[in-house]
Amino acid sequence: MKQLITLRVNGESYEVAVEPQTILLDVLREKLGLNGTKKACDFGNCGSCTVLMDGKPVLSCLILAMDAQGKDILTIEGMAKDGQLHPLQRAFIDHGAIQCGFCTPGMLLSAKALLDENPQPIAEEVRQAISGNLCRCTGYHKIVEAILDVAQSSQRKG
Amino acid sequence: MQQYSVVGKRIPRVDGGVKATGEAQFTVDVVLPKMLYGKILRSPYPHARILSIDTSKAEALPGVKAVTSGKDTGVVRFSFIDTPRYPADQCPLAVDKVRFIGEDVAAVAAISEDIAEEALSLIKVEYEELPAVFDPEEAMKDGAPRIHDKIIPTTTTAWQDFGVIREARPYDAVNNISNRTLITVGDIEQGFKESDYVREDRFEIPATSHLALEPHAALASFNPSGKLDMWLSHMGYEPKRFWLAKTLGIPISKVRIHKTYVGGAFGGKISLFPYEFLAAFLSRRTGRPVKITLSRSEVLSTCYTSRRFIINVKTGVKKDGIITTQQVKIIDDVGAYRSSSPTALYLAHVFRPAIYNIPNVKHEGVGVYTNKLTTGPKRGHALPQISFAVESQLDMIAEELRIGPLELRLKNLRKKGDVLPNGDTLDSYGLPEALKQAAQSSSWKQKWDRQPKKGMGIGTASMFSGAHNYPFGSAAVIKLNPDGRFTLFTGQTEFGGGVDTAMSQIAAEELGLTTDDIIVVSGDSELCPYDIGNWLSGGIYVSGQAVKRAAADAKEQLLAYAAEALDIKADNLAINQGRVYVKADPGKAVSFADLYRYGIQIKDGDPIIGKGYTKVVQDVGFWGGTFKGLGALSRGAGRFTDAYSFAAAIAEVEVDKETGKVKVIEITIADDCGTDINPLNVEGQLESQAAMAVGDALFEEIVTEQGRVINPTLADYKIPGVLDTPKLTTISVQDYETKGPFGAKEIGETARGAAIVAIANAICNAIGARIYSLPMTPEKILEALKHSDYIKNWPTED
Repeated sequence: MKQLITLRVNGESYEVAVEPQTILLDVLREKLGLNGTKKACDFGNCGSCTVLMDGKPVLSCLILAMDAQGKDILTIEGMAKDGQLHPLQRAFIDHGAIQCGFCTPGMLLSAKALLDENPQPIAEEVRQAISGNLCRCTGYHKIVEAILDVAQSSQRKG
Repeated sequence: MQQYSVVGKRIPRVDGGVKATGEAQFTVDVVLPKMLYGKILRSPYPHARILSIDTSKAEALPGVKAVTSGKDTGVVRFSFIDTPRYPADQCPLAVDKVRFIGEDVAAVAAISEDIAEEALSLIKVEYEELPAVFDPEEAMKDGAPRIHDKIIPTTTTAWQDFGVIREARPYDAVNNISNRTLITVGDIEQGFKESDYVREDRFEIPATSHLALEPHAALASFNPSGKLDMWLSHMGYEPKRFWLAKTLGIPISKVRIHKTYVGGAFGGKISLFPYEFLAAFLSRRTGRPVKITLSRSEVLSTCYTSRRFIINVKTGVKKDGIITTQQVKIIDDVGAYRSSSPTALYLAHVFRPAIYNIPNVKHEGVGVYTNKLTTGPKRGHALPQISFAVESQLDMIAEELRIGPLELRLKNLRKKGDVLPNGDTLDSYGLPEALKQAAQSSSWKQKWDRQPKKGMGIGTASMFSGAHNYPFGSAAVIKLNPDGRFTLFTGQTEFGGGVDTAMSQIAAEELGLTTDDIIVVSGDSELCPYDIGNWLSGGIYVSGQAVKRAAADAKEQLLAYAAEALDIKADNLAINQGRVYVKADPGKAVSFADLYRYGIQIKDGDPIIGKGYTKVVQDVGFWGGTFKGLGALSRGAGRFTDAYSFAAAIAEVEVDKETGKVKVIEITIADDCGTDINPLNVEGQLESQAAMAVGDALFEEIVTEQGRVINPTLADYKIPGVLDTPKLTTISVQDYETKGPFGAKEIGETARGAAIVAIANAICNAIGARIYSLPMTPEKILEALKHSDYIKNWPTED
């Protein structure tokens, strides 16, 4: 039985009809056309579908759309502001932290959640923060470097 | 070394922006109006005859638009390898019988994935189970269940299409033998006689998954006018449209593969897959677009894996460690269909002669059908397998002779300029330097010892830069825009390696521009010229050369127009920053944008359009009935490739004797890719391969029981996460390859094999015992430790 719910995604409200078992990932991709959030494993093992819910990284394939009501959801499409890339996006590009790009949205959101919570992480904290996000292309080093670089430049500025 | 202004620079990838913002469109993201969803019914049996298929109930389900089975699709064969000797052996849907669990039996197109899924459950298939065989050595025996009846070719091969007068012959897989390879160099009998020390060992390498994060997917839109538009997750459009045209019976020019970004490939998305054919077939049937996206468990349990090799190596050496002879026997457990086995068994030999100079070699391979998942290429295609076997044994020989592993390797290396037995020449050969630098950087001399707990291991590998596979070459086109920028058309496919960026750098360098001035149109079969594709590592070496030549052609045209316009000889002109200027008087210049207009106004509308092309391995070719030094897979005859690249890897590990767990401390890779077109991407490729090697060495394996994959999820099939990845040190030694574009050759595949070997040898060095199979799991390590003297001297925990 479909039910009408309201989701707040990237600062905008959307009314969507969903089944009780519909997962947030499918709503984002199929109903809202937010294809930046990726589905890669179907079972919450790879981190590709990571979005932020009230600032915390969650796997949108394990969240029921209904349970996402009343929460602030941020997807990769909401990361750049006013036509400006987020510093993490810039750093990922500049450091070569992106290859095929399929894990990138989830990886960036996990990184953002970390830096929002802990602006000056050490390398081990960065590694822990992205330990649920699988990447088959990069070997992770340039991703860790990129995140640490953003943390360090914000320290320099701050 | 020459100084370049764009090539060799750490330029951020041109597709970074769209990938960082989530805008990059992958096949799984493409949606078309009225699109249907396809699902595939798969065999529950490893070997069974199909008695009947009843699709009536599924067809009656509301929302179902088409149901199809092998009765409709018929006997139409395709394969990775399709030669007159080894014709294609697979059908998109099983016709008479099924040969592995997961084989495609029927397919549905419906208005939603849920309905399609429900429809599958309504299809009734009656099977008669047949005896199955899973072990290749059993399968070869007389009386083993016969997996294939005589295979009758249904289409002409690419070779015939190119005029080779050699018809595909029916293939009778006696004793389940799919294919054989026999390559000989020198005389091994004599060689073993002359050896002071001979040893023989058997190694086993399991199937692993490519595990590209984007699942396999296809979207097809068949227009009744006869045009097929497809969006695929792939590695090059030529084999895809070749096989789609053949299997669907439509002209190749009516098949368009559109550009999408590809979410990783690693060799796992090359040849045609049944789901791709089925999307097209169902779209033609329904008149609506059909998309099929495989689930992760479908990818892991039905798509081809890496090749399962059993390798017997017998090597003879002199007392001083000089290798005189090597005999390699490989059993390739190909699974239900032959796929790339003839290529793999050939590659398992031809990747080796460029590394060590071994005068007597016999290389025998046999591909054997079994009722298991089909195997295929994966990053290095047979390179990791053969490297593991040969380089593991080299360490054992070094141990017996009490020669250091590094010294043994250095003694047997080839020399730059060497001509290999088949005629390939090592015009570039950075391996000695790579070994030297890897050893220095990792403090090999200080750290390597024969002590327990911590271990160091070394591995080497070499790889082609493109080979003579369909479509045998590449071309590129570049056109001048009104603003002086160029649009480059290349058939290369961007699946993460950074080829779009590299191609824009090559074109920009040649034209004195920046990458911002080069708009890259790639991966679209309708817009781009023919292209070798992005495997066997021909991307940069082959297609990059075509791009460089296209840019050079455009440059020549610019100079000719400028010479006229400025009334000066072209020799006196040079190009820089979008202008052609007089060398002696740089203020006197004409911009590219001016020359665009000059072409139109003064030259009767003749635009600046550059064309470039190159053929892979020019010594090999055919036309009509004549052959020009034709290569032969099964005999290893003729030239293989134009340039080899090399990697030396050193790994440092620590083993926990209680748990058998391995901590990889550091992997150092020194690689010779000729020229770093983009150091950022070169490092990315090397780090990628090192990380992947950790999974290969320690835990990755597709495990089957009675033909059933028992670990078909990412919870059960683990790949390296960031916490599994050690410190990675990459070194590029760059031995300029004169035949490559700006001196460049392969980068994406060599290092994986070298790194796997390095980790494996490091583990064996740490435990004082040998493990003969991958992955080196804690169970195997604990078992090996039982037989090791090292256990007595194991250092106590700190």
